[in-house]
Amino acid sequence: MFAPLEITHDFRLEISLLIGFLIGIGFGFFLERGGFGNSRKLALQFYFRDLTVFKVMFTAIVTAMTGMIFFNAFGWLDIDSIYINPTYLWPGIVGGLIMGAGFVIGGY
Amino acid sequence: MAAKRKTYSSPYLAGVGLGLVLLASFFITGHGLGASGSMMSAVVAVEKVFSPEHVNQNEYLAKYGGGDTNPLKDWYVFELVGVLVGGLISGALAGRVKKETNHGPRINKRQRWIFAVIGGALFGFGARLARGCTSGVALSGGAVLSLGAWITMMSIFAGAYALAFVFRKLWI
Repeated sequence: MFAPLEITHDFRLEISLLIGFLIGIGFGFFLERGGFGNSRKLALQFYFRDLTVFKVMFTAIVTAMTGMIFFNAFGWLDIDSIYINPTYLWPGIVGGLIMGAGFVIGGY
Repeated sequence: MAAKRKTYSSPYLAGVGLGLVLLASFFITGHGLGASGSMMSAVVAVEKVFSPEHVNQNEYLAKYGGGDTNPLKDWYVFELVGVLVGGLISGALAGRVKKETNHGPRINKRQRWIFAVIGGALFGFGARLARGCTSGVALSGGAVLSLGAWITMMSIFAGAYALAFVFRKLWI
């Protein structure tokens, strides 16, 4: 197991921040490619007129998930040191509902 | 030809690309992507200029920038700056870079901006309550099958669909 690289190699802060910047470029690039730069396109999902968000989001989730499972099976990635968001039921539900309201009102 | 260049990628292609970036993030750093946390860092950075004592006293704010730590020297802050650059690169390549306000045909620009501020404030508040937004919780937490992340993701959709009819004039 040699990954997650930052955990097995202990990077300097500057390197870590540079990696963050580069990963961010990839993140922003594919969001824009998919049309996430247009708030109306995002909001139209709530009227079943444009389901881009679902397609992009769930394709991304499945891709990353499959990759992690394979990397773990190959013995590359220690899946136990991956951060898993903790569950706080009610804050998660109420916060999610408020975010949903903000999403349909604000468009992002 | 110009019109064709402006069309977006196939959502499945963009999804695979996004998924590979997310996978790279997990592989290199052990955690996923985020967005709202960087805004939190920015808020703490501003607050630290005016009232560093309050930042130190409040446990939650201190986590982002207490003591000698610079709240902006943070992985997610650098990642978010990268998001802006990456979005600009993609937009420039596709000929989509322009100043515009996206809204439905039944409202004007000014109304759209007012609702954008209200919606943004709600979204920011909700994101702090749920410990993350659509990037950090729904996307990244969704990929690691966190139960809480999926609950929050479904709650976001539920909240938005529940109010979609009320706010339909904004978009359609």
